[in-house]
Amino acid sequence: MSIRRFRNTLALTVLLAAAGNAGAQQLSEHQLVNTLGQVAEAASAIDVAMLVQEVASNPGKGIAGLPHWSQLATLPQFFVEINFENNSVAIEPGSYRTLGLIADALHHPLLLRYKFLVVGHTNATGDAKHNLKLSARRAEAIAEALSTTFSVAPNRLFAIGAGSEMPVDAANPKAADNRRVQLLNIGLVK
Amino acid sequence: MAKRLSVLSGTVLIAVLVQTGVGRTQTISYADAATLLAKECGADVKKFCKGLNLGNGRIQNCLAQHQAKVSPACTSTMADVIASIQLRLAAQASVDKICARDAARACRGVVPGKAHILGCLLKATRIVGAKCSQAITDAGWR
Repeated sequence: MSIRRFRNTLALTVLLAAAGNAGAQQLSEHQLVNTLGQVAEAASAIDVAMLVQEVASNPGKGIAGLPHWSQLATLPQFFVEINFENNSVAIEPGSYRTLGLIADALHHPLLLRYKFLVVGHTNATGDAKHNLKLSARRAEAIAEALSTTFSVAPNRLFAIGAGSEMPVDAANPKAADNRRVQLLNIGLVK
Repeated sequence: MAKRLSVLSGTVLIAVLVQTGVGRTQTISYADAATLLAKECGADVKKFCKGLNLGNGRIQNCLAQHQAKVSPACTSTMADVIASIQLRLAAQASVDKICARDAARACRGVVPGKAHILGCLLKATRIVGAKCSQAITDAGWR
């Protein structure tokens, strides 16, 4: 089950990477809404502060198997590529559209009652602690852009960094594919 | 001041849409607004606003500070994009009120909740009036 969902998220990443294509746009927003709208029963157990604590106490050792991080695998989620200026929180204009697509999905009535976790991931170039800090600042920059420029209620967004601790391509930790942003539905807004 | 500016740009956008024969206010998706911004302002952002995040008005303020050097297409696009984002937000906020009467007629017995009511309104095309239908379109929820 979790493998199938993971495959779905990969397909979606490919779709969004081709987002210059206006024809694919509607499909992508609907897919985002449908993917994130699957009700998450495990979501109530997600403790954002514990996720931050776990990743901070284990730099360079990986996080997928840690108790709180392993819970994330069961949640409705997808990965997208959002490009930043080198060593900066500045989102490249080429990625504005992807942010807009996410905003469109988060404004949809099906998702209005839910809160979301934005997780930043880097590849393994550079120091693990630095990567962790940069990925957290980038996730915060995305949440800030969504909540201010695109008017998503700030109490629906939580941002954390995973650094280079959870590579999608574990055999090639320095691969560019490992640089990505994960968006997860973490349950109802209280 | 900022509020007056966005109201003004909204008026400009509506005028542009009327002039181009659209004939009524139209909203565009956040994705399309962001795409327009990247297309018309991407080069200026990279030139003048290095290191700045899109959020919290930083890019908007930075481009305004460099307005003399920023391309006129970027300046007008920025105003249009801000206006269109506000228009869509206003449309989303107004759907409940505009569609209340139609929802009461067409969606009796539907489980409460915005998404359920919207699903009902989208199906009940014979009962739902033009204003409600238009509001749903403008909100981007069709």
